[in-house]
Amino acid sequence: MKRRAFLISAGGVAAGMVLLPRVSSAAEGKIDWYTSSDTNILDFWTNVIAPKFEAANPGLSINLIDAGDGAGQDAIADRALAAMQTSTDPQADYFETADPLSPKGAMEAGLYVNLKESLSNWSKVNPLAIETDFAVPYRGSQVLLAYDTTKLPAADVPKTWDDLVTWIKANPGQFIYNRPDKGGSGGNFVRRAIHEANGRDPSLFTLDNFTPEYAEKTLAPAWEILNDIAPSLFDNGAYTSGNTQSVQLLGQSAVTMIPAWSDQALQGIATGVLPETTGLVQLTDLAFSGGFSRGVVLSNGANKDAALKLADFVLTEEIQGAIIVELGGFPGVSWDNVAEDLRNKYKDIVPSSIPTFPGGDWGSAISDGWYRNVAPNVDRNA
Amino acid sequence: MTARPVSWVQPSRRLTGLLLVAVPVLLFAWMTIWPILSGLTTALTPQQADGSRPLSFDNFVTFFSDPYSLANLGITLWTCLITLGLLLVICIPLALYLRFAQGRLATYVQTMAMFPMFVPSIILAFAFIRVLGPNGMADLLLNAVGLPKIRSPYLTPWGPVIGLVWDNIPLTVLILVSGLGAVSNQAVEAARDVGAKPLALFWHIILPRMWTSVAVVVSFTMLGLFASFTLPYVLGPASPEMMGPFMQRTFRDLRNPEMALTQATITMVFCIAFGLFYVRAVARNRGN
Repeated sequence: MKRRAFLISAGGVAAGMVLLPRVSSAAEGKIDWYTSSDTNILDFWTNVIAPKFEAANPGLSINLIDAGDGAGQDAIADRALAAMQTSTDPQADYFETADPLSPKGAMEAGLYVNLKESLSNWSKVNPLAIETDFAVPYRGSQVLLAYDTTKLPAADVPKTWDDLVTWIKANPGQFIYNRPDKGGSGGNFVRRAIHEANGRDPSLFTLDNFTPEYAEKTLAPAWEILNDIAPSLFDNGAYTSGNTQSVQLLGQSAVTMIPAWSDQALQGIATGVLPETTGLVQLTDLAFSGGFSRGVVLSNGANKDAALKLADFVLTEEIQGAIIVELGGFPGVSWDNVAEDLRNKYKDIVPSSIPTFPGGDWGSAISDGWYRNVAPNVDRNA
Repeated sequence: MTARPVSWVQPSRRLTGLLLVAVPVLLFAWMTIWPILSGLTTALTPQQADGSRPLSFDNFVTFFSDPYSLANLGITLWTCLITLGLLLVICIPLALYLRFAQGRLATYVQTMAMFPMFVPSIILAFAFIRVLGPNGMADLLLNAVGLPKIRSPYLTPWGPVIGLVWDNIPLTVLILVSGLGAVSNQAVEAARDVGAKPLALFWHIILPRMWTSVAVVVSFTMLGLFASFTLPYVLGPASPEMMGPFMQRTFRDLRNPEMALTQATITMVFCIAFGLFYVRAVARNRGN
């Protein structure tokens, strides 16, 4: 009986020790880095940035942690904000991509380091990509047109919206874009139509100026534009359900041109999903919208100084070149700060402007409006 | 061996039994019953401008007066019925073959029929685009022998139908084959001895014993088809959309959980009808 009682109590203590929250503090010189991005980004950091950074900075290393998704990383940010109030170690130094406006009040509380003042490479950053001084845009991607050069010579490719519409109508069935809510390539194609319908002025749309009446007024003309081209799209007005499916249709030579994310198209060409003969072009009258990933450094992290070194490091020519070549992304720095051979190779897709479109209520209004006004109004058997 | 009468069970053992049963029952109540009640309550009490939530059928009126939503419900019913019809046409002969055939070929056929069970639907969807999509394998083969290309079912309502039929073959065949276990070889041989032709054999001997499993197939696959998401999402047209993608889009993109719950409630009502059909079929079978 005594033996059993001993066994039970000993087992209980052991279990309790396992369940006890383990108190540990961040290791010196090991940057706790979190990402909410896709696996290809984590792979890129694991295989390219981390080894290069560790080689260049002896004694420093990066602890790469996958936060899973945005919600997972938000929880780490919440923890860091709470740690700030109690002056404890947040065990987080660097977020691969984050919005410094989140969590609410974090920026005002000083959770994120002002990178404009702290980074020596900040001057290299593309001014079009800067949203705030607290986050460093280090990689971007933009929607552009991917096309089959065997069917459409590069010299004849449309470079303005009007030319594009003319081309789509002259070549029925050769263009397709995906549903705006199912992927950014189609989503930003639709947003470009909205820009076109409103004098190509992206400043007309902000996060705060959304009202249902204003949306109705600005979006309705865009639905007309899109309905006008619908019968000339692939299969008399079909829409794929994602970026990948559009790329697949271009790869199968079922269509001649699609809107595509720059990184997806470049990676597709590199891996053979898209043939070598795929051409890429950006509209010159107003580019398709895009987005940048912006890194932040936490001010209360134990390795803040090392993390700032890392933030500076990702802006170097070496890493920015790798972002273009290996990741298929856009550089966060101005193109002048990119190696010359790369600059020449990609000159067709260098944007002169990087328009953006606000999310929030606009996203829902565009999705709902498109599904109700554009998607059904086509007789597919005609 | 016969079961012991309940009265013999000692009180303490009865308690153990109840406790054992409590876990799944509580889990069911928590994960299924509670969300249903909570969803139904939300759908029936739309939030007003002043924040109050009076009982009202407004959300349902909105749904049934909106041609867009009705078209989505219509395509869902159309897809389910067409898919079900095709499944029965394909799977009844297949099940009969597997029940009565012997030898190596039957083993291969059975393996082929079960194969879709091990293919995730997202893989199936992209394979579908490769094979039946524009310039896919089917087109290449037709082209090789000088035939014109097919009009691809990809991004038309027939896309999800073909995908769903393929995906549901294993379950349907399994249920039908198990139902055919009720047909004894003696009965078939006796009917043959008195000169029954294959069709008469099927009609008078086999079919009456198959009804229950057909009813189970109808209710099971209808429930599965109503709930299908990936195949209609990837292969179907942008509009009209099936209820699964429609609900998800309403909830996530339009950020309108109330309407999404209303759509879910309406979908649930149809599913309950097929659920009851299943319960009746099984109950009738027990009664025999």
